[in-house]
Amino acid sequence: MHILRIGLLLGWRQIQRANKWTTLLIISVMMLTFLNLIAVSGILVGLITGAEIAVREEALGDLILSEKSGEDHILETETIRRELAAYPEIQAYSVRFNGGGVLEANYKERRNLAAERDTASVQVTGIDPALEDSMSNLSTYIIDGEYLDPNEEGYILIGYYYLEEFAQQFGDIFDTVSGVSAGDTVRLTVGNVSKEFKVKGIVQSKVDQVSLNTYIPEREFRRLFGRLDRNADQIVIHMNENGSETELKNIFIENGFDDFAKIQTYDEGKPKFITDIKNTFNTLGTFIGSIGIVVASITIFIIIFINAISRRQQIGILKGIGIDRRAIEIAYVLQAAVYALIGSGLGALLTYGFLIGYFEANPIKFPFSDGILVAPPEETFIRFVVLFAVTLIAGFLPAWLIVKQNTLNSILGRK
Amino acid sequence: MSAIIQATNIHRRFGEGALETHVLKGIDFSADEGEFVAIMGKSGAGKSTLMYQLSILDEPSEGTVLIGDTEISSFSEQDRTSFRLNTLGYIFQNYALVPDLSAAENVMLPLLMRGNSWAEALENAQKVIDSVGMEGKYNNLPAELSGGEQQRISVARAIAGKPKILFADEPTANLDSVSGQQVIDLMTKLNSDYGQTIIMVTHEREYAMGCNRIIHLEDGLVVHEERLRE
Ligand SMILES: Nc1ncnc2c1ncn2[C@@H]1O[C@H](COP(=O)(O)OP(=O)(O)O)[C@@H](O)[C@H]1O
Ligand SMILES: [Mg+2]
Repeated sequence: MHILRIGLLLGWRQIQRANKWTTLLIISVMMLTFLNLIAVSGILVGLITGAEIAVREEALGDLILSEKSGEDHILETETIRRELAAYPEIQAYSVRFNGGGVLEANYKERRNLAAERDTASVQVTGIDPALEDSMSNLSTYIIDGEYLDPNEEGYILIGYYYLEEFAQQFGDIFDTVSGVSAGDTVRLTVGNVSKEFKVKGIVQSKVDQVSLNTYIPEREFRRLFGRLDRNADQIVIHMNENGSETELKNIFIENGFDDFAKIQTYDEGKPKFITDIKNTFNTLGTFIGSIGIVVASITIFIIIFINAISRRQQIGILKGIGIDRRAIEIAYVLQAAVYALIGSGLGALLTYGFLIGYFEANPIKFPFSDGILVAPPEETFIRFVVLFAVTLIAGFLPAWLIVKQNTLNSILGRK
Repeated sequence: MSAIIQATNIHRRFGEGALETHVLKGIDFSADEGEFVAIMGKSGAGKSTLMYQLSILDEPSEGTVLIGDTEISSFSEQDRTSFRLNTLGYIFQNYALVPDLSAAENVMLPLLMRGNSWAEALENAQKVIDSVGMEGKYNNLPAELSGGEQQRISVARAIAGKPKILFADEPTANLDSVSGQQVIDLMTKLNSDYGQTIIMVTHEREYAMGCNRIIHLEDGLVVHEERLRE
């Protein structure tokens, strides 16, 4: 006990009397190390989380119903649809019909019938415009023209990935039509049925399911695709309360909905590659952060080493007058601990007090997502503990090396 | 009077083979409780080396040191450290105070190490600082004190734990003659008033005049012993 007290006394007084600038420098190094550890993987993971949140918000929702395996569509869609209105925990939902078609543009201006036609194979989604908008805020992603009007017929929304002018930035990966904007006429062909649509608006989002899609009202979809049974392909649901989707899923199963559709929460239904990339990025971030830890521990090692070696004689004298070597070691470990604590504390303050909020307000614009900073407190804490432990060892080692030297040699400055 | 320290046939060699130097060549030394012994001799005679053997900061190549009833040679490093703490006091030539600690905290160190509470240690330290004539300088850092004052704090640190034997290796070497004399007077007073056993190395005869006995060392051997008083 008294050994600890003497160690703390010696260490604390050294910290107090240390050069302010040196201290500031060391603490800055520790803070940057902490940020490196938290923020690098936090931003890498945040890229994917940003994408994940967007997919959840704009496309899949919290609970997803889709066709059972072996079926083409969700069965008894009308029954389910009627039921959905009865659950107060549901904030919004959308019933979607999916199919593929060929979109053709610029056919009226085509003089030379031998020239290549301007077509693109497209995904077509039939929606109830009002329901879909309340579910995914689709209307807010219109960059040209307007959102579908429930009372109008013959209008289509086109995702901007299908438009050559926009898609060029991604290289030649999407099948596109060119020069199409709101107000133009296009032709949608499904099998051997064709229908003309007026482009009502262009939809832009970083979520593929939205931008690589076209939207027409449900009624027209069913007619065009010959879907007379009214059974839909996807029902997506937003809950009022985060996390309550599991409960609702269970209620649906009790009600026998699982005979009609496959029911998945977002976590179950989200594409597996998202989880994989996230784990990979997290590992990558941890790896990069670990290099930071190594650098920081070497820094601490050197600082404490220099500190202790320059006090070698003093250390010898302390041992000479009978001060336990452990007390002297504690003095140096304490210094390392204080630097690590203050540095990490400032880093945490910066992360939680500023950076997370900042990136939420100003996401990093990536082509496939708006990246945020993700730093779950538990994970941060674990990393802090690792950093702290490594720092303690980095502080202890040089102290131990020097304190263990022969007492008299230290006092006399020999060898 | 019984011997409080008894060293027999002390040899100390450094290096090996052709490079070997034989510094102490078979020294017998003893001091009684309450004695003030001075060790004198030319520079390089082996005074400091002998002092390190007696004060168990070093281990002799040959010979035994007995302090009280304790034979030191079998001690582990840990045992030596705690023996030094509890039984011996040291005054070094260069004061050797911890620069980051105040005068009082420097004196408190060995007391805290012995398990005194903070309050006890502080009270004791202040008393001892008063007794070396440094009243009121408790909170000064070593750098804020003169050499003579630092050495007096160093004496205070050495005697605060009431050691059986106080060792001092040329405690006045870095001091002007006035400060040097003050430190010597202080030790003489400790010896006469409290019966403190002191073994001191010095090369100024004048400083050795308050001692009971002077041992003269030459080339690693005791060549002469003077008894000044009983
Ligand atoms: N560690 C050592 N290695 C080699 N020689 C040493 C060592 N320590 C002391 N000596 C030698 O022993 C002799 C006596 O040294 P010392 O005891 O310091 O003398 P004094 O204190 O009487 O001036 C000197 O010649 C010195 O060079
Ligand atoms: Mg000497």
